Amino acid sequence: MESQNSATFEGLLKRGELIESASEMTPDYLRELKHTLIVSGDTELISAPAYYLAARKAPSVNAFMTAIAIIQDELAHAHIAYHILEELGESQEALIFKRDPKAFRYPYAFDVPLESWTELVVANAMYDQAGFCLLGDIHEHGSYGPWKRGLVKVMAEENFHLRNGRNWSKRISQAGGAAKEELQRAVDWMFPLTVEWFGLPDNLKQHSAQLNYRLKGLTNDQLRQQWLSTVVPFMESIGIRVPAHKEGDGYVLDYPFPCTFHADEKRWDFKDPCSWDAVLKRWRARGPRNAEMVALFQESFAKFQVRA
Amino acid sequence: MTFSPLLHAGAGPLDSPLSHAGAGPLDSPLSHAGAGPLDSPLFHAGAGPLEARLWSALAEIDDPEMPVNLVDLGLIYGVTVESGRACVRLTFTAMGCPATEMLMSDIRERLLAEPGIEEVRLDVVWDPPWTSARLTADGREALRAWGLSV
Repeated sequence: MESQNSATFEGLLKRGELIESASEMTPDYLRELKHTLIVSGDTELISAPAYYLAARKAPSVNAFMTAIAIIQDELAHAHIAYHILEELGESQEALIFKRDPKAFRYPYAFDVPLESWTELVVANAMYDQAGFCLLGDIHEHGSYGPWKRGLVKVMAEENFHLRNGRNWSKRISQAGGAAKEELQRAVDWMFPLTVEWFGLPDNLKQHSAQLNYRLKGLTNDQLRQQWLSTVVPFMESIGIRVPAHKEGDGYVLDYPFPCTFHADEKRWDFKDPCSWDAVLKRWRARGPRNAEMVALFQESFAKFQVRA
Repeated sequence: MTFSPLLHAGAGPLDSPLSHAGAGPLDSPLSHAGAGPLDSPLFHAGAGPLEARLWSALAEIDDPEMPVNLVDLGLIYGVTVESGRACVRLTFTAMGCPATEMLMSDIRERLLAEPGIEEVRLDVVWDPPWTSARLTADGREALRAWGLSV
């Protein structure tokens, strides 16, 4: 019975058809799908407190409204992923409110605090662009029907975030002086953090169940290139330096990848290359604000529970 | 050119400001209104080519979340130009619209890129208020295709 199911499932997948329910899945596919959804939900969720801390520095009432609208979008996007997880048998409540902060699976970048309006808009221009590449890939190539369909509006909304990031980055750059220097400093630490967001390079990642199961369509390096191909020309067009350049059909980084990051100083040491093992260790240890970010939405939950 | 209250008055099938007059009966918000001088340059007898260019330029700016441009969304109430100074009278879909500054900055930048425009004044108005009746035929079609029932 199990092998028959498995053969039917493989057939669906090979023909490029969509998987619509848990009953069609193999246990392995279900596990990979859940893992991918958790990473996506956690990433959207954690961006809310991360962006909120910086939104408080908004330079105008409407800019604050823009940031709050973006945060509202991110929470809604997180809800899509957690809602699907619930349909697949997980408890949303347990996932969001009862997990240890270190068990969250969002990119390390969000553990480094965004502390100014400038850093927030650079996050909109670079982090949301990364989200756009990753979710766009799932929307285009994903094999799980309910998620693929849930992403239609997410893409449009991410566009709004990107536009906020780009408009403001451009305005700040045009202002010149100290404002532009602050923008450059933000890009200096946030650019390499987003480059590593896409994960291990393809030559180190031997096997990807996510690709085999069409939970994504592009490899880590392909997605990273896609991100570089939008962010590098944009930053150059507004007069901001980035440590990457075009060579042939692709983009090449101008620093050793990976290298050491000093989170407390928000500083990369391009003269100190490191191994991917060291990067994975840093990711697993999480960054400076992990517990604080998670506490921002977990804190009040327990207070409002009715005790039996 | 003076602004006329768009939603008063008379009939007359009008087209979307961009759809080159004469193109048949339409459901442009402007056409629900009455007669009287409209200040979309394409309708207005005395409109110069510069205003027409500005309408086209404004139609290049999309709403940040929906696949529809500002003109087809019906946000632009009027455009006038006098001695290099463009004045755009516009509204937003809601007072809580989180994109007002973003759109105003995009409008300013786009219009200043037009030869002959040295200054842009934006006049945000809430009366008449925006409703979905202000969508042009193209705007309505774009939103329907995207899945909004309008």
